[in-house]
Amino acid sequence: MSVPSLKRIRQVPRHLLVCEKGHARHPRSRHAAHVWDHAYNCRVSFLIPECGLLPEVLKSTIADFGEYYLVRNLSVHELVSHEFIDAFVKKGSCYALTYNTKIDQDNTAALLPNAITIDLTDSSFHPDSKKHNRVLWALKDKKPLEFDILLAWYHTGAEESTVMSYFSKHQIQALKPKITFSTIRDLQCPVLDSNELEGKPEESCSTEELFEWLGAVWNQVSLDNKSSSFLSTYCCPQPNTVVEKAFLCTITGFIIPEKITQLLEQLCCYFGEPKLAYWLTLTVHGFADSPVSWRESEHGFHKGGENLYNFVIFRNLDYWLQMAVGSYDDCPP
Amino acid sequence: VGAALPVDVLTYEEKTVSAILRVISSGLVRLWSALTLLGFYQNRRCAFRVLQTSPFLLALAGNSRDLVL
Repeated sequence: MSVPSLKRIRQVPRHLLVCEKGHARHPRSRHAAHVWDHAYNCRVSFLIPECGLLPEVLKSTIADFGEYYLVRNLSVHELVSHEFIDAFVKKGSCYALTYNTKIDQDNTAALLPNAITIDLTDSSFHPDSKKHNRVLWALKDKKPLEFDILLAWYHTGAEESTVMSYFSKHQIQALKPKITFSTIRDLQCPVLDSNELEGKPEESCSTEELFEWLGAVWNQVSLDNKSSSFLSTYCCPQPNTVVEKAFLCTITGFIIPEKITQLLEQLCCYFGEPKLAYWLTLTVHGFADSPVSWRESEHGFHKGGENLYNFVIFRNLDYWLQMAVGSYDDCPP
Repeated sequence: VGAALPVDVLTYEEKTVSAILRVISSGLVRLWSALTLLGFYQNRRCAFRVLQTSPFLLALAGNSRDLVL
């Protein structure tokens, strides 16, 4: 075997993990902007050490995540029709993503609330314009595309959602996100210092160690291994402390940034009263088959479609934000 | 591969006969190849199917391709 071939065997697919630090109450903090820019989220989970019972305000924030919709066999051109634009796009934030399409194999379509690539809110995109007619021809006649589509609509108006009645001629289901709660006892948690992103020997763990530890917790990996263990050498990073209990919550579905922002804000308010916990985490997984990750940055699927982010919120409202993407993604903003 | 390249079996679930393995990034291709080529174990036919890979363990906690509605 030639040397160049041996080199290829050891090549690692490119991936990125970026981390930023800030303070949630700083006027120029970008924590909310990063949440807003990540449109398509399939799983939101949070972990609160030293917590056995979720406060009522957090329970009601989660219960208020609202509905999303699955519309079967919807033609893409219907999402650029003026009836749809007037009913939903102009009256709130509308998100849509094809369901059950694999971005590395199939056609995929998505609708962002700001709808940049075909700007549905552009004044030149009116029913008789050349642009409008060209787009409709492309989507209706040239390449008619039909998908099962996940849809969510956020509006601040008092009127009830009309999505079900608008798509009544299609097969449409209203769905609620699935929510699960659990508690872990005697959990080893890394000691963190919000000012030390790279950790400090004997004093605090780094952001990468925390990120991996979180993965271990959410995948139910044992943290008790010894480094000499035959099966697994993974153990909780040092220094760590054992907490009596930790509260875990997972929400899965088609979750929009507006709801995640509300949850993030309530998690920041969790430290408004004295708490035993030094920090808590909020993790958000994006759809592996979304065509974009943050804003309109193209997202792809190489060996995985990871695009996820994780907040660590500290007692003093300092935060770490870690954003992770795979090979076919641009660097997160 | 297991002798030349350290591999951690992070989890194993008997019900689904599935496991999470961890290997150094430069060993991914060799480990995946070894699993692909492993057709027998103790004289019994077997096959390994890789469901998901990621450089981030946290990414394995959520896979939108498993979302069934």
